Amino acid sequence: MSHTTALTTEKKNTWGGGKSPFSISYGKLMMWIFLLSDAFTFSSLLVAYGFVRHTYPSPVANEIVKPLSHVHENFTEHMQEVGYFTTDKWPLPELVFNHFPFIHGIHLPLFFVSLMTFILIFSSVTMVLAVEAGHRMAKKEVAMYMVLTILGGAAFLGCQAWEWTTFITEGARLDHNPFGPMAFAALFFIVTGFHGFHVFSGVVINVIIYLNVLAGTYEKRGHYEMVEKVGLYWHFVDLVWVFVFTFFYLI
Amino acid sequence: MENHEHLEHTESPKDMKKKIWVTFWILTALTVVDIGLYFMLIENHSMWKNVLFILLGLVKAYYIVSIFMHMKFEAKWLVNFIIYPMLFVGFLIALMLIESEFTAAIR
Repeated sequence: MSHTTALTTEKKNTWGGGKSPFSISYGKLMMWIFLLSDAFTFSSLLVAYGFVRHTYPSPVANEIVKPLSHVHENFTEHMQEVGYFTTDKWPLPELVFNHFPFIHGIHLPLFFVSLMTFILIFSSVTMVLAVEAGHRMAKKEVAMYMVLTILGGAAFLGCQAWEWTTFITEGARLDHNPFGPMAFAALFFIVTGFHGFHVFSGVVINVIIYLNVLAGTYEKRGHYEMVEKVGLYWHFVDLVWVFVFTFFYLI
Repeated sequence: MENHEHLEHTESPKDMKKKIWVTFWILTALTVVDIGLYFMLIENHSMWKNVLFILLGLVKAYYIVSIFMHMKFEAKWLVNFIIYPMLFVGFLIALMLIESEFTAAIR
């Protein structure tokens, strides 16, 4: 009887003290607050992209280069000549991001960036599996999934480095863009760079957590909450990529 | 810290693993749909195409936040506390789109 009364009073006074109204530990709540503020930062960057994009006319529909077809030797110059890449029109992402490592001279639009998306989704899955293993206190499984997550993150960073190198080799700079308006290259470098820096930080934090898992720090502590916290951050990075992918490559 | 375990998971590890893999396949399928639609609608430049891609992005975001970030199983207060502030972003998008029409008009 007294047990029931205690429960009802507890339920009534969410903010009455004695327990967290959010039913979550301090560390996880702070991580959520940080992610909220980070979400605002990324939103501002993507809204800035939308703003600039919306002030330019829509790209010219691509009727001359079909997927998997062979492309012109000097593709960028050729596209400038035929009027697809002009400074007064937004370029078609399909024509800008059409490269794939080790394959030259073939039009492979969005293939590489799709691969990057799948890599990041997969590393998110291994992260959440590490969190799940943490709940069962399965140290070996946590360590294994953390390694897979770190490898996924490193693979994504490698892909992004390759993407940037290709883009820069073709003449794109913060203040110069052979594909169209200057802002296109500038925003690409700023937004994917900021996201890439988040992935890099995530990988570094993941490595630290992984070493702690191996050292048995969390086993001694009795819970793997640190894995959950870094997991929240890692999923957020994946979440941001969903929108970077949507805005930069699809729209 | 004492009530830590009490607050956490009620679902069994097996259920959670299944949920994770189902979410993975949903996200993969949605990405494939995204790419497919991109090529199907490549000659279309209407606003509804952009809205369609953003909506697909939001569906993916829902699955990542609710399952991977465990938001679906958190307290109602926490969910509201994180989700409602994001509505301001919608406000910013509306303002900036109106403003960009003006910028384009005077260019």
